[in-house]
Amino acid sequence: MDKLKLGDLEFSSRLLVGTGKFSDVETMVAAVKASGAEIVTVALRRFNANEAEDDLFGPLSQLDRVTLMPNTSGARNAKEAVRAAMLARELSGSKLIKVEIHPNPHHLMPDPIETYEAAQTLAAEGFVVMPYMPADPVLAKRLEDAGCASVMPLGSAIGSGHGLSTRELVELIIRDSGIPVIVDAGLRAPSEAAAATEMGCDAVLVNSAIANAGDPSAMGRAFADAVTTGYAARQAGLMARLDHAEATSPLTAFLSTPE
Amino acid sequence: MFFVLFRGYCMNNFPDWLDPVPYMAQVEQAQRRDVLAALATTQPTIAEFATLLSPAATDELEALAQRAKQLTRGHFGNTIQLYAPLYLSNYCTGGCSYCGFSSDRKQPRHKLTEAQLQTEMSALRQMHIEEILLLTGERTPQANFDFLHSSVKAAAAHFPKVTVEAFGMTEDEYRVLNDAGCTGITLYQETYDPVLYEECHRWGEKRDFAYRIAAPDRAFRAGLRTVGIGALLGLGNPIAESISLYQHAIHLMKTHWQGGISLSFPRLRPESGGFTSPHPADEKRLAQIIFAFRICFPNVPLVLSTREAAAFRDGMAGIGINKMSVASRTTVGGYENGRAEDEGQFEIDDGRDVETFCSMLRQQHLEPVFKNWDAVFR
Repeated sequence: MDKLKLGDLEFSSRLLVGTGKFSDVETMVAAVKASGAEIVTVALRRFNANEAEDDLFGPLSQLDRVTLMPNTSGARNAKEAVRAAMLARELSGSKLIKVEIHPNPHHLMPDPIETYEAAQTLAAEGFVVMPYMPADPVLAKRLEDAGCASVMPLGSAIGSGHGLSTRELVELIIRDSGIPVIVDAGLRAPSEAAAATEMGCDAVLVNSAIANAGDPSAMGRAFADAVTTGYAARQAGLMARLDHAEATSPLTAFLSTPE
Repeated sequence: MFFVLFRGYCMNNFPDWLDPVPYMAQVEQAQRRDVLAALATTQPTIAEFATLLSPAATDELEALAQRAKQLTRGHFGNTIQLYAPLYLSNYCTGGCSYCGFSSDRKQPRHKLTEAQLQTEMSALRQMHIEEILLLTGERTPQANFDFLHSSVKAAAAHFPKVTVEAFGMTEDEYRVLNDAGCTGITLYQETYDPVLYEECHRWGEKRDFAYRIAAPDRAFRAGLRTVGIGALLGLGNPIAESISLYQHAIHLMKTHWQGGISLSFPRLRPESGGFTSPHPADEKRLAQIIFAFRICFPNVPLVLSTREAAAFRDGMAGIGINKMSVASRTTVGGYENGRAEDEGQFEIDDGRDVETFCSMLRQQHLEPVFKNWDAVFR
């Protein structure tokens, strides 16, 4: 499988995972390992330098082959997200940043305007900018122009498990995008992740579906397999979808009749 | 019992937008099939909420619990957010008939000096606490806004998240608290029935129902991020209070789209003045109310304090409730000197320490989360 390229970074795995919602840190670390993910996102607000037991950053930073992608969850505008990103880079040493700005703390939908503004600033500051965004094809091109390394449209609401409900919009984003498209949020089943890479997404990001699974490590592996399978199918070239049987007598046969 | 409480509740003295009366028939008349429909819908409204509070829904309590657990885990994961209260002062000019701090109570009054505040905060830090709720009574010369303001500033230097539960304030005062590092406030209406409200709040600034009900709006306008609201269950009919609380929550969410609300379910507890509850809500009723709120507000934090018994808290963790206080002291200076409980605002039922409480959560495969905020967002 070819590499996932984000800015000047390259990755073999096309599954990115989140680290919230797990029942304990050991379960989370085991699931991250099992998933084979090389990019792991962690909220700056869950960094706790004072209490090792309450800290998500420490145990993740120990993992080989894992690049941390801190996220700015909690920020309600561009200014706060930029501050959070700067602090996260200082603490983690990682230049990957997931810009996550959801001013409404209940439905957690990303703010397109503030996200765009933060992305512009952070790209100029040398970050590899990964914006969590509404599935909006116009915004996706705006973010690409702003210097983002990828776009991360939502499949459905965070934690909802409603799958790829934005499919048509994500298809438009994929068609026109010059940077990797990563579906982030809402996936419930590995089949949905396979569908995402099969339709042309470059990667997917999963958190709740793994954290809330009966066996998070096994689910991490299942998502990894699904993402690989979907991507391989895409590369292999899917047969065309036909809505009707092919006519045995071509309608245009008369066009080749010699005059 | 249920219907007896109910029939006495016909006075329509609520402000229109909080009035539970139009929905009480739904509560009374809902059938099992209505309850099942309410559980199945993805877009519950106040009609479904009323249905979930009905006697028919009491018979389906297990189904409510299962749905509530699904929704809680979906949004909040397998985690419980923890915080601790810190009482700054028990001076009070208020006349709340049900409260141990009421100005007519003979209990000794204290307020923390700057040094004592530091001592209390380091005791809390040693307990791993990252989020604190600073409390006072009603505004007094001893514990006024300036005292609260300087306490917030001091606390913000040590804790990523500092919130305040005190008296109703002006928008400007809330703005000053916000600038000092306060993330949000908790302010219970206590009862949404204005007549009962006036009876319970016998004197003082808090007597003004309208000023208090609009305080969360002022707090959000001032830029604070979170407001916790609730009714003191046991003062009025708990079903009617819940319906009004629902409407208050909807009002705040519609008006302040960036505001984070949370809902608490304080039950009237015995206190030193001996006030007894006119409408006691038992644990089963309280659980049903919490499940109904979770089903109708899947992504709003629901909070349960140490007022409740350990067994009840253990049972509700992660099946509706996603945020809890832990190892609380409701006395001024309680963390350092363990001052006698009979001086507290109310009696604590779950007195377990942080370690014991967290090991209970872990046994239930729930992660205790202490830090879920960062000072960078101030």
